Amino acid sequence: MLSSRQRAALDALLPSDAHPVLTRGLFDAGFDEFHASFEREAHPSLRWTFRAALWCAVWVSPLLIGALPPVSRLGRDDRERALGALVSHPWYPLRQMGFVLKAVAAFCYGADRASRRAVGYPRQHDEAE
Amino acid sequence: MRELFDGEKERRRLDDGFDYVIVGSGAAGATAARVLADTGASIAVVEEGPVVEPAGFGDAVFPAMKRMFRAQGAQAARGRAFIPVVQGSCLGGSTVINSAIVWRIPDDVYEPWKTEYGLGDAIPLAALHRHWDLIERELSVAPTPPDAWGRSNELMDAGKTKLGVAASPTRRNVAACKGSGRCLTGCPHGAKQSMLLTYLPYAMARGARVVAAAKAERVVMKGDRAVAVEGRFLEPLSKRPIAPFRLEARKAVIVAASAIQTPGLLARSGVRSPHLGEHFQAHPGAPMTGVFDSPVTMWRGATQGYDADEHRRDWRVKIETISLPPEMIFARMPGVGRRWLETMSEAGHLVVWAAQMRAYARGSVRERFFGTDIAYDLEPRDMDNLRRGLRFAAEMMFAAGAREVITGIHGMPERLKSPDECRLLEQAPADPRHYSMIMSHLFGTARMSVRPRDGVVGTDFAVHGTRNLFVVDSSVFPTNLGVNPQHAIMGAAMHAALGLSGRL
Repeated sequence: MLSSRQRAALDALLPSDAHPVLTRGLFDAGFDEFHASFEREAHPSLRWTFRAALWCAVWVSPLLIGALPPVSRLGRDDRERALGALVSHPWYPLRQMGFVLKAVAAFCYGADRASRRAVGYPRQHDEAE
Repeated sequence: MRELFDGEKERRRLDDGFDYVIVGSGAAGATAARVLADTGASIAVVEEGPVVEPAGFGDAVFPAMKRMFRAQGAQAARGRAFIPVVQGSCLGGSTVINSAIVWRIPDDVYEPWKTEYGLGDAIPLAALHRHWDLIERELSVAPTPPDAWGRSNELMDAGKTKLGVAASPTRRNVAACKGSGRCLTGCPHGAKQSMLLTYLPYAMARGARVVAAAKAERVVMKGDRAVAVEGRFLEPLSKRPIAPFRLEARKAVIVAASAIQTPGLLARSGVRSPHLGEHFQAHPGAPMTGVFDSPVTMWRGATQGYDADEHRRDWRVKIETISLPPEMIFARMPGVGRRWLETMSEAGHLVVWAAQMRAYARGSVRERFFGTDIAYDLEPRDMDNLRRGLRFAAEMMFAAGAREVITGIHGMPERLKSPDECRLLEQAPADPRHYSMIMSHLFGTARMSVRPRDGVVGTDFAVHGTRNLFVVDSSVFPTNLGVNPQHAIMGAAMHAALGLSGRL
């Protein structure tokens, strides 16, 4: 179960109603269900790395823009700025944490039918026709 | 079905005996089974991964990775950078999840095996060509036809024409490819001629028994003879043990578990050699992403239907088209939040072409208490070649009409806006941590040698000092290839199996 702080970080990563084409946010795409199954079934190294990445997003990323953690204290623009600083940080391990955060979010978001349709990905039955 | 013992479903102990026990059901193991099945011998093929049904192949990446990829895709090499090492772990091995690319071993790669590594005619090239002819007939190998190209492959063709470089439709083992771009998660149409659909059923139809969800823990040796394979059935996701198995081998044990798994199995079986797990080589790769004004929809067309080998010899780099599913495209797009959504929304206008490199680097593979440890670090000359290769890929993209190229390299401009800016890629950071790389095609960890002091396996594919413990996968290759290795592996495994059954 995700804490409200973790949810704030993930919501800032892929927000709802923030883009004219990709209108759905991460939680609209079913991340709660995805995360529950991820915690049950993902390989331990993936699970623990994602947990560490979430921790960095909540507690470390604000420090990178000179703000106090947790990330949930910040406004929307600063949350994005903080996460942006994490994924582009010069120190490789922090940058990797940012990459893992994005990769796991993308596992869920990229499988979302509505988001796939929005970028023109064909539905399975289209191919069979 | 008597021919399949699925440990995940059976959930009981298995004790049985066969002429040959083959560990691994991928390109090498299935080919050995296909050859030996023709002799009338009794065969068991042991596969650590689960049985996968083509009818159940979906188009979502993570469920596929959970079921079919080693460590769910989380296996990585450890060096300055962590580089994911992609391997299939299911019945049929990596042939189920690869892009079905077929290359014979180039002469310039083979020649040093004969001379520099002293293998002479241990695996004669003429014999390999005969094996490849047969395999290509049986697996419907042909260049990707234009009607299966899709826009991404068409664009590489356009770039090649504009630049006048060596590139061509990729030869693949596919029958009637529908161009759904879903090789990575298993072909939903049964078009890819993976071992799951070809050589394993061939062997099973001739009485071979496939034992799945079964991790081979050790080969039981009696003096210099391999007499059995012991292990445990495992829950595919949790890897919790279900029940033990022991398969007696009357004639031979054939190890075809991959360059990552084979050295560990041999070490657990008492094989001792300073070369075991050493000399590890691979083909790391990094992508360039081209942005086009008109839609590309890379998901329509063969996953990897075109490649450019212009610089295979001089820079040791081959450029390949690749169709990635949305999950993997999204993960690689720059930005977070609104910016990430904006870059993701371009997905339908992108091509991803990867520079696959025949790296000089050598690493090692070791069993540790936490699992398999792959130590591997690229050399400066590898990074030089990678940067040249990425520049070449970007130039081809602009030649094909790209508006921009997304570099994906930390410390570089996010986007190149003109062909002139491609030269910046040769000044890109030389540190592998700045790149988003992936590694597949794994070699050398039980290399072949004439003398025991130079390698692990003899020129008859038997482990030095043993009479009937054979290794037939790419562990035995003395070097990497610079081309996709499935075909090379199958040719070598066929040669080994014909030899050990006395039919060469």
